[in-house]
Amino acid sequence: MNVNIKTALIACLLTLAPVVTAKAQDSRLQMSSLDHLAAKANQTVDVNIDERLMHIAAKVLDDKDEDEREVKKLVNGLKGIYVKSFEFETEGQYAPGDLETIRTQLRGPGWTRLVNVTSKKDGMLEVYLLFNGETVGGLAVLHTDDKELTVVNIVGPVDLDKLAKLEGQMGVPDLGIEPQKKSKNDDEK
Amino acid sequence: MNDDYLWDKTGQPDPEIQQLEEILGSLRYQPKPLALPRRRNYLPLLAIAASLLLAILAGGIWLRVRSRHEAPPQQARVEAPATPAPEPDVMPVLPEKKSAVNQPLQASNRIYRRRSESSVVDREEALMAKEQLMLALRVTTQKLLLVRTKTQPNQIKNQHRIG
Repeated sequence: MNVNIKTALIACLLTLAPVVTAKAQDSRLQMSSLDHLAAKANQTVDVNIDERLMHIAAKVLDDKDEDEREVKKLVNGLKGIYVKSFEFETEGQYAPGDLETIRTQLRGPGWTRLVNVTSKKDGMLEVYLLFNGETVGGLAVLHTDDKELTVVNIVGPVDLDKLAKLEGQMGVPDLGIEPQKKSKNDDEK
Repeated sequence: MNDDYLWDKTGQPDPEIQQLEEILGSLRYQPKPLALPRRRNYLPLLAIAASLLLAILAGGIWLRVRSRHEAPPQQARVEAPATPAPEPDVMPVLPEKKSAVNQPLQASNRIYRRRSESSVVDREEALMAKEQLMLALRVTTQKLLLVRTKTQPNQIKNQHRIG
């Protein structure tokens, strides 16, 4: 009888294993702990685009437009983009502990901090990537300034090259992130 | 002849009977425990089958929920609501006599109007989603650009000079 229970347990574990693994590798960050800052903020950007909205948005992206074509390529395969950005009129409107819940999640398995820049002028900038084996499964950017707090979370396989291509588009000046070959081609055009 | 031997094994046995007893003796009942055929245990197989069934069921439910959440295909016809609009003017106004022939036509018009209205709503939702997406990407690229300027300031300056 014990053998039967063991077999049943193993079968259940085998069934639940993919679900548990999928949950563990989910790169979605819970950012609701920052919601209370909206009341203090001068300007708030709160974007929640899940997979469904991403599909809907991708349908109206114009393939004839070069910028939108690039965006379409980038978002293809992504499962969500979540942004919370708060700009305050005065300093000290948020506590460092406000970001602690986000940082705790980013200390979880799979997440790697790629960049950590601290400067007096621009505050603290951190870039995290979630690796699922060798592939990138998510991206998180934290930016804290005296008067600003921004968290960006991209869920899904982020193509950093494609993301880099978006610089210079959508009102962001191009500072030449692209590889040399491609920038030469662009110059020729 | 005394038949007691045949009755209760007393008295003088008949040699012929004795011989028969010896021959048939090997077939005599010998007490031994009843060995029932062992039942196959189907419980592990049943557990695996149930688990698989559960997984398939969960997958099916998930797919159904997902497909429900997915928007219907977008229709680019924004002018669609204008087409069925003249219908009340063109149709003869007969309030008492409701034409049975016109009823299906009106029903189909109503469905068409509803569909076109929903397509407009879908398109509006899609445009809003696109706007949100662009905003999100704008913030993301801005932040990544800031990271890059902080991590590679010299390289960017040099690229600017070259450019």
